[in-house]
Amino acid sequence: MDRLDSPPKELVVTCRSLGISESDLVAFVAGDLDDAGRYGEVWFALTSEELLVCKAHDPTRERAAFAAGNSDGLYNIERIPLDQIDEITTENLVGNGFLVVTVSGEPRRVCQFTNSQARKFGIFAKVAEKARKGEPVREEDFSDGRPAPFCPRCGRLYPEPERAICPHCMDKRALTLRILSFFAGYKAHIAAVIFLMLAGAGLNLVSPYLGGRVLFDEVLNPGGRYEGRVFEAVVLMALFNLASIGISIMHARINAHMTAHVIAGLKTQVFSAMQRLSMGFFTRKQTGGLMTRVNADADQLQYFFHDGVPYFIVNSLQIVGIVTAMLLLNWRLALLVLVPIPLLVWFMNKAFPRLWRLFSRRWRALRSLNAVVNDALTGIRVVKAFGKERQEIERFGRRNQRVYDVSLQTGYFTSTFFPFLGLLMHSGGWIVWGVGGWHVLEGEITFGTLMTFINYLGMLYGPLEFMTHIVDWWTACINSAHRIFEILDTAPEVAEKPDPVRLQPMQGEIELRNVTFEYEPNKPVLKNVSFHVRPGEMIGLVGHSGAGKSTITNVICRFYDVQEGAVLIDGVDVRDVAVADLRSQIGIVPQETFLFTGTIAENIAYGRPGATMEEIIQAAKAANAHDFIIKLPDGYETVVGVRGQDLSGGEKQRIAIARAILHNPKILILDEATASLDTQTERQIQEALKRLVQGRTTIAIAHRLSTLRDADRLIVIEEGKVVEMGTHEELEALQGVYYRLREKQREALAIRGVAAG
Amino acid sequence: MQQQDQHGLSEYVDIRYLDPATARFSETPGGFVRLVIGEEESYPRVALYRAFPFSFPDRYISVRDMDGNEIGMIKDLNEFDEKTAKLILRELERRYFTPVITQIESIKEEFGYAYWDVRTDAGPRRFTVRDMQSNVILLSPEHVLIIDVDGNRYEIPDYHKLDARSRKYIEDLL
Ligand SMILES: Nc1ncnc2c1ncn2[C@@H]1O[C@H](COP(=O)(O)OP(=O)(O)O)[C@@H](O)[C@H]1O
Ligand SMILES: [Mg+2]
Repeated sequence: MDRLDSPPKELVVTCRSLGISESDLVAFVAGDLDDAGRYGEVWFALTSEELLVCKAHDPTRERAAFAAGNSDGLYNIERIPLDQIDEITTENLVGNGFLVVTVSGEPRRVCQFTNSQARKFGIFAKVAEKARKGEPVREEDFSDGRPAPFCPRCGRLYPEPERAICPHCMDKRALTLRILSFFAGYKAHIAAVIFLMLAGAGLNLVSPYLGGRVLFDEVLNPGGRYEGRVFEAVVLMALFNLASIGISIMHARINAHMTAHVIAGLKTQVFSAMQRLSMGFFTRKQTGGLMTRVNADADQLQYFFHDGVPYFIVNSLQIVGIVTAMLLLNWRLALLVLVPIPLLVWFMNKAFPRLWRLFSRRWRALRSLNAVVNDALTGIRVVKAFGKERQEIERFGRRNQRVYDVSLQTGYFTSTFFPFLGLLMHSGGWIVWGVGGWHVLEGEITFGTLMTFINYLGMLYGPLEFMTHIVDWWTACINSAHRIFEILDTAPEVAEKPDPVRLQPMQGEIELRNVTFEYEPNKPVLKNVSFHVRPGEMIGLVGHSGAGKSTITNVICRFYDVQEGAVLIDGVDVRDVAVADLRSQIGIVPQETFLFTGTIAENIAYGRPGATMEEIIQAAKAANAHDFIIKLPDGYETVVGVRGQDLSGGEKQRIAIARAILHNPKILILDEATASLDTQTERQIQEALKRLVQGRTTIAIAHRLSTLRDADRLIVIEEGKVVEMGTHEELEALQGVYYRLREKQREALAIRGVAAG
Repeated sequence: MQQQDQHGLSEYVDIRYLDPATARFSETPGGFVRLVIGEEESYPRVALYRAFPFSFPDRYISVRDMDGNEIGMIKDLNEFDEKTAKLILRELERRYFTPVITQIESIKEEFGYAYWDVRTDAGPRRFTVRDMQSNVILLSPEHVLIIDVDGNRYEIPDYHKLDARSRKYIEDLL
């Protein structure tokens, strides 16, 4: 059985001497901080009878003693019988956590651990609690349903805990093959491109030969084979150049067509995969970046295949071709010419990364400067109202100074770097001119050969420079591809069962049975929540913000699956219900209304695309939205959304309600649907809601308790627990949490009255 | 009436500073902090929070009961006797566990993730930082905060004071 960690040998021996064998251990966990808050080791062993706290003062001394065959008394072991323990829990703090054991009513901090161990300790505490209560500990108790945070192959932490990807162990070959598989349908294109590239590279090699050896030795040289036929020679050279350009245009076009096609297809695939994914995937912190980068990633792939791969092939051919040609012409001179090349490559390898770093630093400085400008301009009302223009100018000045500094640094660097690079490149030329010139005088080589060498050498630098960053480019491309594949490959966590129960039509009965739910490990947001809602009933959920009200609606809609207990609709576990039936019959009006870019009519009909104009208008009327829509110049065809007409919060809210009305769900969830509105608008929306609520099961969350007067029953939530349940009158009479909440709101209203008056 | 309302308002905004003369902090056998104020008020265990963890680590400390309600604030730890100040500081340091990096052995970047190998005042440590641009934070012109993938925090109070090699690592990042 997986016991979290495995005990060190020395400790096993020590435990044996206490009469505890390895098979008695239910769980074993190693902490990474000692009592003094330094990185160190502490072990916790759990048997069915006791909790052992094993601390080592000096591990090196103990190992030495162990090696000497003395294993007694090496560990400071404290044994706490489970029947004396009232509770074992973990507490999460900033950057670390505690394991707290309550013995005889007194909570005790038995150990501190870093966040890296928090998950493990959470599981340990849960298992220990079970063992303490005498409940059987099962295999699945050792997992919190999340993948291990480190690579099973090399043991390294994953750079992103939610992504089981180890950059060290990831199979680059397989990834490359998978990327290439996109191009599988384009074999003919690829063959054509490669053929054209080969031809182009061949032609490229001939040009310097024509312009050097042939021109100088055979045409311009008295006694040459083609003496005086300058015109033909120039025409021939021009023809070769034209042919070479023609070929590169052709392969670039074929290639552009092919990559654009492949990438467009890929983007569609990624987008549809994203739509399939569960809510959890989107709200997780780490994936935020992942999602926004998807498009950039696809573009990265496109550039790479559009420019990177072809240039790589062309340039490699060129390098091989040039070196071969030079060796064939005169191998001794060729070897001499190539001497400074390694130095040049080394220099480029060293200096280019530094240059990119400087560029990216400057880019960041510029971005932060732009942020100030943006802040100051979008917030100009606030700036002016507080009279803080000077302060903003100073803020700008500071960032501007930084941009200046970095630009200067970059400028200094480039102004030495490029001349130096040029110098190194020229040094090859000196060798050719010097040694080659000598050879020419000696008559060992012709002047034409010398010119050919010079030309070839000039053609070598570009490809070499390209080669210095192709590796980084390729790596970035692989990483992009990886992110894309990850989305393509992510299985939705909230998946439909193979043979789901159809709830068509739904009655609208809801039951939460001992529901425990957490977004992040060890931070339960709902704790053992149970309640039952009859079909057609209107329930108000009340509680402080952060109590878990929205979370309750999230699990009812099955945006997330609960960890313990069950959510039942019409008596069926939501995990067994067809997702389409849930979506079509549960409607939500959220606090943050979102309108898609499109007309008002399209937005209202979002849930029922086939709706007639009459139905749309009726829904708008029911939502008290018709009147204001009609007054807009473009009526129902007013474009709203990100780039559309600015509507007020209340207007948007009413459109969202119209959308819900037209959607006509059996279960309606109103999550603070009226929280940000003035009382007048709220009243209008209240009316609209009253119409909407009829004949449906409704769960309404409202901050203003007065909003919930029509609710049949209220459920009061506090820190993820149901603390009170009943009608207004019952709860008032209880004089409990609800009563106090109401009192507080009355007070707050009174204060607002004072402040306003 | 007016008076009463004003009183109500100030109750919301006034800070209740704990008076060193009446507030008595002590350590529980389990290693937590207990608070007794005067004769009446007693809390078997309190939690301590910093309002300004970076600028004023030993001032403006919020003292709360285990339900999270604020009992009061400590204006300045130095007002309390040394033993109490030490107890509270230790408790705070436990909550805001942030080892100070004293030397950087190496930072290896791969695929946009950085593997740090450092020495801290809590011992040597290796950790992984994702997206260095947002997780290596310059709190002031010299104070650097680093947050690793697990949410562990490390700080460098003044990176100019590091040895040349370590400093260069940081300068290259900023
Ligand atoms: N997607 C999420 N990931 C992690 N924690 C969350 C998420 N959504 C909400 N929480 C946390 O869950 C708790 C309850 O949130 P919520 O249900 O939105 O409260 P309410 O709606 O009652 O104001 C809060 O502490 C909140 O920070
Ligand atoms: Mg909410």
